[in-house]
Formats: sequence, structure tokens, C-alpha cells
Amino acid sequence: MRRVFRIPFARGHIAREVDDELSFHLEMRAQRLIAAGWTPDAARREALRQFGDVDGVRQDCLVMDEQRERAMHRANVIGELQQDIAYALRTLRRNFGFTAVIVSALALGIGANTAIFSLIDAVLVRSLPVSHPEQLVAIGDPTRVGSMSSGSPRTDLLSYPLFRDLRDQNHVFSGVLASGRTDRLDVRIEGTSGEFEHPRGRFVSGNYFSLLGVPAFAGRTFDASADAVLGASPIATISYGYWTRRFHNDPSAIGRTILVNGTKITIVGVTPPSFSGEIVGSSTDMWLPITMYDVLRPNQKVLDDRLTSWILVLGRLQPGVTLTQAKQRVSELLKRDIVANANPQIAKAFLDRGAKYYVSSGSKGFSRVRNTFQAPLLTLMIGVGLLLCIICANVANLLLARAIARGREMAVRLALGASRSRLVRQLLTESAILALLSAAVGLLVAWWGSRALLALASDGAPMSINLGTDVSVLAFTLGVSVLAVALFGVVPALRASRVDLAAAMRAQSPSVAGSASGMRGERLPLAKLLIAGQVALSVVLLIGAAMLVRSLRNVQAVDVGMDRDHLVLVDLDIGSRGYHGERLANAVHSLRDRVATVPGVSAVTFSENGIFSGTESSTTLEIPGFTARTPDDTTVAYDQVGPDYATAIGAKLIAGRDLRSSDEPMLPRVVLANQSFAKFYFPGQNAVGKYLHFNDSVAVQIVGIVADTRDHDLEGQPARRLYFPYVHADDPKNLGEPGSLRLEVRTVGDPSAVVQRIRRAVVSVDPSLPIDGVDPLPTLMRQSIREERLVARLASAFGAFALLLAAIGLYGVMTYAITRRTGEIGLRVALGAQRGDVVRMVLFDALRLVGFGLVIGLPVALMSTRLLRTQLHGVDSADPVSIVVAVGVLVSSAVVAVLLPALRAARVSPIVALRAE
Amino acid sequence: MAIRDEIPPGTLEMLILKTLASQRELHGFEIADAIERRSGDVLHVEEGSLYPALQRMLIKGWLVGEWGRTAENRRARYYKLTPAGRKQLDAELSSYRRVSVAIDRILKPA
Repeated sequence: MRRVFRIPFARGHIAREVDDELSFHLEMRAQRLIAAGWTPDAARREALRQFGDVDGVRQDCLVMDEQRERAMHRANVIGELQQDIAYALRTLRRNFGFTAVIVSALALGIGANTAIFSLIDAVLVRSLPVSHPEQLVAIGDPTRVGSMSSGSPRTDLLSYPLFRDLRDQNHVFSGVLASGRTDRLDVRIEGTSGEFEHPRGRFVSGNYFSLLGVPAFAGRTFDASADAVLGASPIATISYGYWTRRFHNDPSAIGRTILVNGTKITIVGVTPPSFSGEIVGSSTDMWLPITMYDVLRPNQKVLDDRLTSWILVLGRLQPGVTLTQAKQRVSELLKRDIVANANPQIAKAFLDRGAKYYVSSGSKGFSRVRNTFQAPLLTLMIGVGLLLCIICANVANLLLARAIARGREMAVRLALGASRSRLVRQLLTESAILALLSAAVGLLVAWWGSRALLALASDGAPMSINLGTDVSVLAFTLGVSVLAVALFGVVPALRASRVDLAAAMRAQSPSVAGSASGMRGERLPLAKLLIAGQVALSVVLLIGAAMLVRSLRNVQAVDVGMDRDHLVLVDLDIGSRGYHGERLANAVHSLRDRVATVPGVSAVTFSENGIFSGTESSTTLEIPGFTARTPDDTTVAYDQVGPDYATAIGAKLIAGRDLRSSDEPMLPRVVLANQSFAKFYFPGQNAVGKYLHFNDSVAVQIVGIVADTRDHDLEGQPARRLYFPYVHADDPKNLGEPGSLRLEVRTVGDPSAVVQRIRRAVVSVDPSLPIDGVDPLPTLMRQSIREERLVARLASAFGAFALLLAAIGLYGVMTYAITRRTGEIGLRVALGAQRGDVVRMVLFDALRLVGFGLVIGLPVALMSTRLLRTQLHGVDSADPVSIVVAVGVLVSSAVVAVLLPALRAARVSPIVALRAE
Repeated sequence: MAIRDEIPPGTLEMLILKTLASQRELHGFEIADAIERRSGDVLHVEEGSLYPALQRMLIKGWLVGEWGRTAENRRARYYKLTPAGRKQLDAELSSYRRVSVAIDRILKPA
């Protein structure tokens, strides 16, 4: 009888097979010859002779044989893989509930990670969709995309004349473009309802599109000729998004004339869908030639003003020039230019402040959100990473439990000749399929999640981020999934394949107890280790979340120094209505007087920047007898405010008096200072009556000191601040006319109750005055801390989910442990143990596990919360309250999770238990 | 010893297929033997061509090879025809017949 056996794949074997076959042939030939009467020696020689070139044939066969073997091996592996996949799919489908639970948990984890990553990718990592973004250099502070500062030259923004000098005199760039804020645009498109709309605009230099390498999608973009003559290019290029939203991709939109701030502007073209401007986090709808600024915003003449800084610059490096070289040359050029063109005092003040220009890589464009979201996003990334680890540990435990339930199946397959590596491969295939399914669902979760996150983060301030799923996001998801398989699949697979054949076959039933006896070694230590790991990771998440929540509470409860619960802010765009001088003063006064008559209103005042508006002004000053140590020492924040400002908003007057109506002519010149200002410049003295000097040496006298208020920020130190009269016939500091107006309305009761009445009162004074917002102060405050709220909320959600998973895991493991110990427990009860003793025993067992997890988790938590330090306000990074709360919540959840199995254990009847043994 | 002819190039594989088609499985020596015997000892199979040809046919999937024992309990590789091999045999036979009929026509005296 012939036995067929497998041909193993190995070079040695093949050579031997070929040799065997050929020598067999030679021997058969020789035998034949011997039978015909040849002597054995002669027969062997003759056989060799007849055969010819034995070695050559051997080589040929060897090469071909190897080729064949390899092909067979490949076919084998692929065949096995196909089998494995088919088998895995069948198994997973049969256990639908099990599969669904695992896939949804993993999909949630993978999805959350992908969602956060896609935000990180979009905000922090991705380059602008322009040609060769790596050649771009940003000049100016990339976060100051909406700023305008007047009065003195700056190092973080450029004025238009400074930009022109840079453009014409530099030797490092092949081109430079300018980009500046438009403020709100009032656009009216003919043939529509006549309501103003407010697309997001950007003033840019004519070479903007050609320098970035952005072609027109339709029509044309504008070019450098738009820079030639100031105010002579009434044209605009619009984005694809705006074209779709507003014109439904109608080609006739190109060439149409629209009204922008009252001026006729012709749309000349549309940019490609992929391009939404150079500002990450805020896509641009409309680009206007920068030379149109003074025409479109007639209140401000900025194009010729070297002291108004508002422009950010992108330069494209010439070949061979490095960023470092560009930095140095640009800095020198700008500094020289500013000093040469400013009066000596301003030049000196500028040099005193360091004159160090912002020059950095421009490949990622400009962004305000990049700064505010960097720390929160990285925090959340760590949070979801931990969460995924916990989910993986949980899934590993589930798979482990099932692997034990499948102990018999494994044993049977081993007995039928499957190799252990084959079994491991089979189980890993199942895990990989689970991971891939989860990744697919996870991408959906991520798609939805990242948009939901963005919506949450944009609360009150629309943020547009291009979230298009790109290659790096997909690669990330895939990588995370592979990692997940490695985390949750490998250990159970290895463990499950380590079946003791004899023991498993002996077991009669495929029940848990029966098959478990087939496992070599104890299964529980591994499962318990996974639980302890989950507890450790959960405590890290929980402590972090507790700290963030407590920090948020601190921020929300901070004393803002005014009547926060009874203030309404009315934001009016007075500048766009062309009010000037006396007309402006009259309009402001009549608005105030009209709103003051609204029932429920107890006081009204007004200011340029307002409270929690996000708009802030600052200036430099000189004070006799004060020497600056750092450049920042002479910089102060200021606002221009109406009479009785401090009293009206509920701020405390510490010394002197409030501003009055009689101060409005500014003769004598007076100003209100806050406490930080007084303490900083006049420590230990009475600041009332002191004089301040500004660039032109005009002296202004302090008439009152008001307690610090938090005007724009709930975190950090309050700024040194001055309050000038809003209406000023004389202009000592060259403040210019305020471009905006905010009314601060103090109410008697709930501010939201009078919002509509205030709005109607404003409309009754001037129906055409654009109202940008009527909001109770608490609403504005909430918006100012939206990142903090978002992070605290999400971290809490992650923590809660982690807690739930850990509790479920603990419940499962303890239930299983008790099943295994039924006999022992029964014995104890038979020997007189009370129910309480049994419950205590089980609880103690579980808590030991939790304690083990805490011992690992607490040091890790203490180390990792140090990363949160910059995001915590009034909370130590080793905050004992957070730690106690987190540990308390964890331990009590553990007790609840274990109580059920413990009580079940206590009801064990000794007879039943002993019979089961 | 009788005069024996070499097998014409290109026909060895067809002869191996044909030989195996009528037997269940044979080892290399038996294949060579069978071809020689059935040709009336006219054709001689060269070992130097036989074994590489067998290898080629294994790769093409016309044959499968399995190790087994001979009646004398010696290890030998046995070759068997696969369905693909059977198809190949049919194809080669019909093409061979077409060619040989054509050659006959040419050689026939007019």
C-alpha cells in the first residue's frame, strides 16, 4: 500500500527528491541490464552512459521543481486564507449578537480616533491646496487674521505701504502677496429680496492667485494689474462654495454686478472647489483687490497709513533661498523701512520694543483656530487613544471568553491534524475581519463625528474646515485598526490555540466549565490582567476629565467685576452707515436715550469694542517716571466708552470719578484707568490726577480708577486698560472715529426677556442700521470658552464610556470566576460561612483587582495630567479633589458591577454546588 | 540491438500524456519503458529530455506527482494525468493529426 505524504517546502528536500527520482531511474535501468546478462559494474556504467548528462538534467529539474513548489506553496497559503476568511465570516455571522457588540464598540473607538485625527490633520498638519506650499513663507503673526491696529508700527502685522516696500525691495522672494481683513461686508445682489448678506471676504493683492498657483475655475481671477491704481479695480473673485450656495453654479454670475458696502463690484471669476483661501478654519467667499479698501470702507483710510497694521504676507521663496536666510533678510528690511519712515519718537519706541518680526513657514497658511485648538485637539487625541485601548482590552476579554468556549472546537481541529500556527492564523483572520468591519463602520462614525465636533466647536462662531477624507486619514484609520487587531486579537489567539488535547477531548460537554478544563494553565489571570489594565486606563481618563471639568467650573465662576447676569450687549455696525463727527455723536446719543426708555432697562452706556466681543484695541504710551523693562511694559489695552460706563456695567469705582457727559469734548483731556493699570504704573501711589503721554506727547489725565473687569477673557490675568470717551471732539491720541458701536444695556431682571424690545428700540431710531447681535452677556461668555467646554464635555463622555466598559468587563470576569468557584463556595457555606462572608469575599476579590489597576493607573495619571497643565485654570495638575472623585466613582461603579454576581454567589446552595463538582 | 529513433521534437509531451491517459499512474522509468514498448521499440526516450519534460508538465498543471512505493518497496515519484492534462492531450492529438495528414498529402506521389 502506498502512502501519500506532503512535500514540505525546503531547498534540501527538493534536491533530495530530484536525486531520488534520477537515481531510482538509473537503478531501474541497471537492473534491466543485469537481467539481460550484464555484470553489475558494467550495467551501472551503461545506465549512466545511456542517461547522458546526469548533472545537467539534475540542475534543470531542480530549478523547475523549486519553481513548482513555490507556486504550490503560494496557492496553498491563498487557499488557506480563503478558507479562513470564509470560515471566519460564517462564525461571525452565526454569532451575530457577539459580532455586533464587538464591531460597534470597536467602530466607536476607531471612529472617535479618526474623527479627532481628521480635525488634527485639517487644522494642524495639512498644507494649503496650492502649488508648492513648502516654498511659502508667512510674514506676520499667522493667528492674527482679523486684526487691525493703528497708532504705532507692529511686528506681527504690516501696513500697506510697508508691504509695498517689502514687495519692491526684497531679494529673497519670487513674489509676495498681501492678505487683510475686510471686516463685515454688506452685500446686496440685484434681483434678490434686498436683505444684506455678509459673505466672508478678504482683501488681497492682485498677484494673490498667480502666486499661489490657483487658476480660475470659471471666468478669471484678478491679477497684479489690480494693484496699479488705488480704488480703480471694482472687481471680485468668488469661491466655488459661494458660487454654489448663492448662484447655484450659474455661469451668468460671472460678469454680474453686486453692491458691496454700497459700491458696485463686478464678479470676474470663480476659484476651483478645492481652494477656499489661505486661512485654515475660515474659508473665504469673496476676494477683493486690496487697493479697494479705502473705497469699500470709507471710514478708514488705511492704504497710505504706515501706522495702521493689518496685513499678513505670504512670500514664495526664490530657488536656493532658505527660510532662515529669508527670516533674517526680511526682518532687516522691515525694521529699516519702519525706522526710516516713522517719526523719531515712534521709531525709538519701536526699536525699544525689540523690533523682532514674525517670519515663519507659510505652507499651512494662516489660522486663528490653529492656536486655540492645538492643545484641546491633542488632549482629545490622547483621550480617544486611551479609550481605544480600553475598548481593545474589553474586546480581547470577550474573544478570550469565547476562545475558551471554543476550546473543544480547537481541540478537534488539532486532533484532525491542523497545526497550531494554522489555528492562530484562523483566529487572527477573525480578528482582522472584525477590525476591518469596525474600521468601515468607524469611518462612518468619524465622518459624522468630526462634523458634529466641528459644529460643537463652532458654537456661535461658524468655523469652516475642509474635512475631506484624504489619504492620511484613511491610512490613519487602517493603522489604528491593525494596531487594534494586534492589541485585542493576538493574545486570545495564542492562548486559545494552546489547548491540551487530551483534557479537552475528555470533557464531555462544550460548556464553559468543561471546555475550560482543556486549557493549559489558568485563564483568569490573563483576563484579570486585562481588567486591571482597563481600570488603570479608566482612572487616567477619569482624573483628566475631572480636572478639566473642575477647571471649567473655576473659569465659569470667575468674578468678572461687573453685573454679568443683567447685561445685554448690542452690536451695531455704525461705520458702514457713514456717520461722522456730530452726526455720529447725535446718532449714538439718540440710540442710548431711546434704549434707556425700554421697560426693564435700568442703565445704558456704549463703547467701541464692548464686552466679550472678541474685538480689542491696544496702544503704547509713555509715563513720566516709569522705565519699561520689557517691550510689553508700555503696551496697554483701551476702549472708547460712553458716560457713566463703569457705573452702568456694574463695575466698582475704586478712586476718583466715572466718565461724564461733560468729558465728551475732551477738554480737559481725561481718561479712566483700571486697577491693574494703576498698580503697574503707579505702585503705592494714588493714580488719580496723574498724566499719561502718547506718541504725540499730548498729556491725558487719569480721573478715576475702576476695579478690574474681565472684558474679553475669563482666563489669564486681566489686562492693563484705559477707557477714553467714545465721543471726542478733540482727538489727543489720534484714535480715529470709532468704526463700531456696542451698547451695554443693564436690565432689572432676566436680560434675555428684554432682548426683543431692545432690538425694536434700535430699529425705531435707524431702521437701516445693521444689527450684528443682541446678546445677554452670559451667552457671549459661554462662547468665549467654547473650546474649554467642548474639551471638558468630551473628556467626561470618554471617561463615562471607559467607566462603563471597565464595569462591564469586571462584571463578566467576576461572574465567570464565581461560576468556577461554585464548588468552593458551596463547601464554605456547608462549613458554616454566612451570606455576608461570601459577598465580602467576592467583593474583596474584585476590589483587589481594582486596587491593582489603581496602583498602575494613578502614577500614569499623575504623569499625564501634567500635560494638561496649560489648560487648567485654578486646578493643580495633581488636584486631590479630582483624584478622590475619580477613584471614588471608579470604586463605587466596581462595587455596583460586582454586587450582582456576589449576591448570586451568596445564594449558592451547598448541595447543588457539591453535586456540580 | 535494433536501430532506434529519437523522438521528434515537440512530440514527447504528447506521448507522455497519451501514455498516462491509458494508465492510472506511472513513475518516470515506466513512462519511458511504456513509450518504447508501445512504439515497438522504435522510439527511444532520452532520459535527459524525459525528466525536464515531466517537470515542465507538472508546472503547467497537466500532471500531478506523488511519492509512493513500487512493488519492490522502493521510493518513486508517480505521475498522474489531471483534467487539464487530458484536455491538453486532446488538443495536441487533433493538431498532430491535422499536421500529419497534411504532411502525408505532400509526401504522397502525385
